[in-house]
Formats: sequence, C-alpha cells, structure tokens
Amino acid sequence: MRAKDRERVLAEVVQRVTERASATPQQLEQSLFDTLYEERRRLEAERHRRSGRAALAAYERVQARALKAGPEEQRALLRELVGGFAAEVAGHFDERIYHLTTKAVPAALTLLFNAVSPLRLLQQIPSGLSRLDDQLEISGETEAFKQAVARGTVVLVPTHASHMDSILAGYMLYRLGLPPFVYGAGLNLFHNRLIGFFMHNLGAYKVDRKKKAAIYKEVLKTYAGVTLELGYHNLFFPGGTRSRSGAVESRLKLGLLGMGLDAYVRSLRAGNPRPDVVVVPCTINYQLVLEAETLIDDHLKEVGKSRYIIEDDEFSRPRRVFEFVSRLFELQSRIHIRVSRPLDPFGNQVDDQGRSLDARGRAVDRRRYVLVGEEPGFDAQRDQEYTRELARAIVEAFRRDTVFGSVHLVAWVVFRWLQEQNPGLDLYRLLRTGGAEPSMPLLEAYRRIERVREAMRQEEAAGRMRLDATLRDGDSVQLLADALAHLRVFHVTPALERRGDRLLHVDRNLLLYYQNRLADRGLPPQGVPA
Amino acid sequence: MSRDRLDALVVGGGAFGTALASQLVRLGRRVALWVRRPEQAEEVNRRQRNERYLPGHELPAGLRATNELPAAVGGAPLLLVAVPSRELRGVARQLGDCVEGDHLLVHVVKGIERVSYKRMSQVLREETCALKIGALSGPNLAPELMAGHPAGAQVASRFQEVVQRTQSLFQGGRLRVYGGADVIGTEVGGAFKNIIALAAGVADGMGFGDNTRSLLVTRGLGEMARYGVAVGADVFTFGGLAGIGDLMATCSSRLSRNHQVGERLGRGERLEAILASLPHVVEGVTTTQAVHPQAESLGLELPIVRAMHGLLFEGWSPGDALERLMALPVGGELSSLRYR
Repeated sequence: MRAKDRERVLAEVVQRVTERASATPQQLEQSLFDTLYEERRRLEAERHRRSGRAALAAYERVQARALKAGPEEQRALLRELVGGFAAEVAGHFDERIYHLTTKAVPAALTLLFNAVSPLRLLQQIPSGLSRLDDQLEISGETEAFKQAVARGTVVLVPTHASHMDSILAGYMLYRLGLPPFVYGAGLNLFHNRLIGFFMHNLGAYKVDRKKKAAIYKEVLKTYAGVTLELGYHNLFFPGGTRSRSGAVESRLKLGLLGMGLDAYVRSLRAGNPRPDVVVVPCTINYQLVLEAETLIDDHLKEVGKSRYIIEDDEFSRPRRVFEFVSRLFELQSRIHIRVSRPLDPFGNQVDDQGRSLDARGRAVDRRRYVLVGEEPGFDAQRDQEYTRELARAIVEAFRRDTVFGSVHLVAWVVFRWLQEQNPGLDLYRLLRTGGAEPSMPLLEAYRRIERVREAMRQEEAAGRMRLDATLRDGDSVQLLADALAHLRVFHVTPALERRGDRLLHVDRNLLLYYQNRLADRGLPPQGVPA
Repeated sequence: MSRDRLDALVVGGGAFGTALASQLVRLGRRVALWVRRPEQAEEVNRRQRNERYLPGHELPAGLRATNELPAAVGGAPLLLVAVPSRELRGVARQLGDCVEGDHLLVHVVKGIERVSYKRMSQVLREETCALKIGALSGPNLAPELMAGHPAGAQVASRFQEVVQRTQSLFQGGRLRVYGGADVIGTEVGGAFKNIIALAAGVADGMGFGDNTRSLLVTRGLGEMARYGVAVGADVFTFGGLAGIGDLMATCSSRLSRNHQVGERLGRGERLEAILASLPHVVEGVTTTQAVHPQAESLGLELPIVRAMHGLLFEGWSPGDALERLMALPVGGELSSLRYR
C-alpha cells in the first residue's frame, strides 16, 4: 500500500470502528471495558516476557483512567485503543520496498524467491525457479480473473491447506502479470524469518489470533474494507485458517467475506466510478501438504476440544521446507492452482464483460440488490444473507475446482477399507491401534482403486471435480506407485508402505488427513461413517 | 417503471392465487393478478368471476387481472407466486426475464419438484436473479378465504424484509400471517401434508371414522418431521401453522382437493379416472412421486408415504395399503424422531 493511502486507511478505520462501537453510552462503555478485559487477560499469559509485563502495566493504567472517566474521555480512550490496534495491523511500511516490488515485480519476485523466501533454497537445486514454473500449473478462468482485476477491485479467495499457499498465490499473481494483493497474515508468519520481511512490504497486514477483543476483529475487517474501497485488491482465505482436517473448506467465515459487499455499497454511495468488487475463488492443490502431520493432530485435538494455536510447525523450519520442495520436485509432483469464474458479492457469476449473470446466464443489474428505497444502502440482516449466498457460491466453486491426485484416492481406499474391517471401533481407537488388520491385500487395493477412480472420472465428466493427469489416465498400478512414492518421501513416517503383496498402513492419521479431501463426494464405498 | 405502482402482484389465477388477491383488494391494497390466458383475465376484469377455479364466487370489483407479465412485474415490489408445483419452473423462467434484484418473491406453492426433489424456493432461486425469497403456507382453503373466515399462515424467509413486507401486506385482514425463518420446514410442511391428506381421504372413503383419521394425521406428522429434519428443517416448524395447522385443516375438510381425491380412491375409483375428471392439479399425487424415492435414497422409513406410493403408482388396492400399514411392528411413539 502506498504511504499516503496508509495514513488515510488508518484514519478511516479508527473513525469507523470508534463510531460504531460508541453509538450509545452503554455500547461505548461495553466496548471499552470488554477490550481492556480481553487484552489484560491475553497479557496475563505473557507476564514472563518483559514486553508482556510492560504492555499489561500500560493497560492497567488505561483501565484505572477509564473507571473514573466521563463519556468524552472514555470515547478518547477507546479511540486510542482502536488506533493502537489499527497501527499494529497496518504494520511498518517501507515505501522504497513497495515501489521495488510493484514497479519491478519480476525483480522483486526474483528477490522473494531466490533470496528471502523458502524458495531461496531452490538455488541448491539446478534451475530452481524454472522447475517451479514447470510444476506449478495454473489453470481455469485466468483470463476472466485478469479482466476482473483490470475492471474493478478483486478479492481472491483461495482454499487454504498450507502456509505455502500465500507464497504460491503471490507467485501466481506474478505469473499472471498482476500486482500484489493486500493480504491478512497471521502474526507467526511475520515472525517467520523466511518471509516476514516481504509480508511487511507487499501489502500484508498483521492478524494476531490471540487477540480476542471484538474491537480488534472490527479493526481487521474494516481495514480490509477500506483498502477495497481505495481499489486495493485483497486476498482472503475464507476458511479463516488452514484446513485442519484436510477437507476442502465447506464453512466459510462470513465477517471478512462480507467486506466486499460493504465496500461495494460504500463505493456506490460515494459515486466511485469503479465501484465493483468481484470475488475470485481458487483452489490450491497439493499431492502432499507440508504441515499435514501437525494439522491433522490439531484437528483430532479440536474434535476432542483441546485445540491450540499452532505457532511452531513445519513451515517455521527452513530445512523441512527445503526438503518438502525438493522432494516434490524429484517426484515431478505438480501443484495445481485452479481459478474459478469470478463472482459478484451476491454469489452470481460474472462474465468477461463484467456483467453479473443469473443461473440461466441472463444479465443482472447487481446495483438493485442493495437499493434501500431508490438509493444504495445498508441493511445488516439483508447483507448478512447476501454474504451467505456468496459463501455458498464459493463453496460450490471450491468443490467443482478441487484437483485430486493419487494420494487422495489411495488414502480414501485404504482408510475406508480399514473402517470396513473394524466396524465396531471408534475413530480414535482405529487411528491409534490400526484395528485387527495391519495390512490390506494388494489385489483388493487395486480392485478398489479402479472402482473409485471410475466414480471419480464420472464426477469429473459431470463437472463436479477435477483429476490430475496421473489419476485420470494412469493404470491402477501406476496410481498406487505414485501415491506410495509421495507418501514415502517426505513425512516423518510413511503413511503407507508396500510389503510384498500387502499394503501396510503405518500412519493412519495421515491417511485420514489425505482421504478427508474426498469426503462428502458420494464415492464408493457408501455408508461408512467418516 | 416505478416499483410502487402496485403493492403486490399475485402470479397465478388458480383458486388460491385468486383468493389471496381478493383478500388484499378488500384490504385496499393495490394488487394485480397475473393469469396466463387472456380470456381468464377478461372474465376477472369484466365479470368479477373465475368460474373454473372458484365457481360461484364473486370477486371484488377492484381486482384487476392481466396476462402481461413484464409490465405487471415491473410495477410491483413483491410477487406472490401461486401456480401449481409442476408449472412453477416454467413460470419462474418467464419471471426470470423481468424480475430484478430488489424484488421480493413469496411463493404459496405446496409441492416438491418431481425428479429433482427441489423445493419451490430452490426452483425460484435457479430460474430468477431474486435472492429475497420466502414461502407462505398454512391452513388456507381457498373457499374459506373467499368467504372471509378468520385464518392464519406462516411466511418464512431468511430475509426479514420479506417477512415484514408480507406481514404488513396482510395486516388488518382476516388472514393472520405469522413470521419465521425456516423456509425449508415451511415448504416441507406445505408439501408433505398433501400426501397425508390423500391418506386421510382414503381412510374416510373406506368408511373408517375419526380414530383412524387421527392415527393417520398424528403418525403423518411424525413422518413429515422426520423427512423435514433430514432435509434441513427445524423440527419446531411442524408444530406450527405450516405443519400441524395445515395438516388438521386439509385432513379433516371436505373442501381439500387432496382429501377429495383420497376419498374417491378409498371408494375404489381409479386414479387416472379421478384425475381426468378434475379441472385442477392434485399436489398430493406429484408430491408422493417426489418424496417417496427421495426418502428411500435418504434411508428414511416413511410407512404412510410408502403406502400411498403403492396405492397411487404400484397397483395396490386401498385394502393392500391398509393391511401393510397395520402389519408393521409398533415401536416407541417418538423414537424415530430426532430433534434438530
């Protein structure tokens, strides 16, 4: 973001959030004391750090003042708190770097990929970047995406499986010749020495998931909204966080997603000549996920209600990232980014001329959705429902455009077979013990692979999913070999191993993780609970 | 064209659409009635009659009918869609040419689309650009509405604006419209009760009394709720006007078309002959055709639906259907109903 815009954005954010939070004296008091309470609670846990103690002391001073203050002073204190959050979210900004990265994108990306990012490590592999070019396949509605960027403001909404996603999404923008997008990244990524530097300077803003105050979340949302109004394209991960289970997101966070509509209505009201906000879903598909082990562990803990915030995973260990990338290259494993048709903020598809279309392909005047009387306006309940419609359309796009590989199919086949063999065993015991059968007969695996693959081909023919080339065209022997090779090379324990004419299931958590991507697809065998 | 020329447009000049439009005109609302055939529009406008669907009833003088859809749609902010379920997709596609994003669409169609198993609001969503869609349903027999008897209904929509605008449209009249958000439950209740009404009619036709009807209505309500919850409804909706309310009226009233058809079936007449003798659609027949296979695919046990499907489409006699129902094992009364 340009420096002058940063000041404007900050001022707008502080103004809007403070105004909304202090509409009545009761609201003002509640917002102020809730924020102080949440922040003090968070900082209590940071007492062991000097910075934590200092911040806590500062909040206690504000609390003491707030207790004695009248409405005017309380409002000033709230504004201060909001201002603090907003400045922190917007981060430090170095305009020189911004110009370097936007005016000379290729140079900046060379820097990003060869100097600072995990991909610097690719230098150790001959012709690293060109191999990334070969192995990253970008397909789908890329032209429509570019036109949407040229015509209005775009929110890119990818699926989220790995921290690698941000790098790959950034790289996709570069490959398509598009400018960097504003992007909310977890604080842990800013602390990550590999990409933190660029996070600061490529339009990324900070999201601290430990901050629970409602006002803080308002600041984040408003920040995204104001940048959209100023014409900055945004990237949201609409699932909110990386998919823990391995499944493609089917429930999206509506709060941030709704900011596209908010920006559209505000732009219409302000007479902005380019008011349109277009949402572009895309799926990022890997055969292997760098952080799979940590994510599925967290998923299982969440199901058991002891979820935590992952601060230290595979992504924070450069050597693991390097191993991961080089193994993928050795296997010539393709990463697919598939761009879906752009949507308007109401979930309608948008054509190449920028017109919204109904399900029958007829042009729709989208401005009419937001009329209040004769003029565009807000209606919180209506707008929430519109955002639900948008979320539904994104989820559908994710489903249609998810690309499956051999690992997903083989994990599905083996895990379902395991469940069939152990009908009385609950999921946790099955994962821990593996049940009665330590291995699956190879011939049975081939037979099932063929059957499920046929069902997947039919799904693809009906436009309901996508298959990568090996999965679509390889025979079942090649398919299984490809999946085993992937599962063997990177994870600490191979999820699955071949021993003679048997398949040994070694890490069932990983099998669960990879097969979850195929859940709810109506594939055989039916009737086995996940 | 200004959206304010009319308060509402009723789309469909069958018995229910005409009765609703008449109610609204009597309340002083600016309402037009869209009918497909020009001669029907002429009959309404010149003679204040709709003899085919409401024989013997005089319509209010202020009720204007039209067969010009785009002009009527352009002048109304709210459309009340009242066409038979099997015609809805075609009419909705026509509406799709002229409906815009600020239109409110409320349908009063009690059916489920055959083959696709889609609810009527889903059909409207697919065929138009409208998002603000709702469903109005309840015990609303058209002749009683025409006679001005007090009645109630529920309008459900995820958009509060739809609920509030519909409620204020009917405000002050004899039809009390309650609000809700459970569109699925409201639609399922309205459609499903037709099957049970057919079954209650069959029992009456076979000469059984009030005990049998109550048994069918109560167990039918359970099947309705089981099916509804399986497709995403809120179970409590079935305790309201769109559930038990509609079921009571339609299963006990001789005015109900589904009940009438069931009664003739119970007396041993053949379905084809009955349908050929009627001017209007019998929603219970198409709803049974839609619900039975869907229930099977969902693994739901719905014995009354099963029996009605056998009777309507598989050559079962009323006696066969009864014997099969009576031979089923009895379990706990509420054991098959899962709440939420």
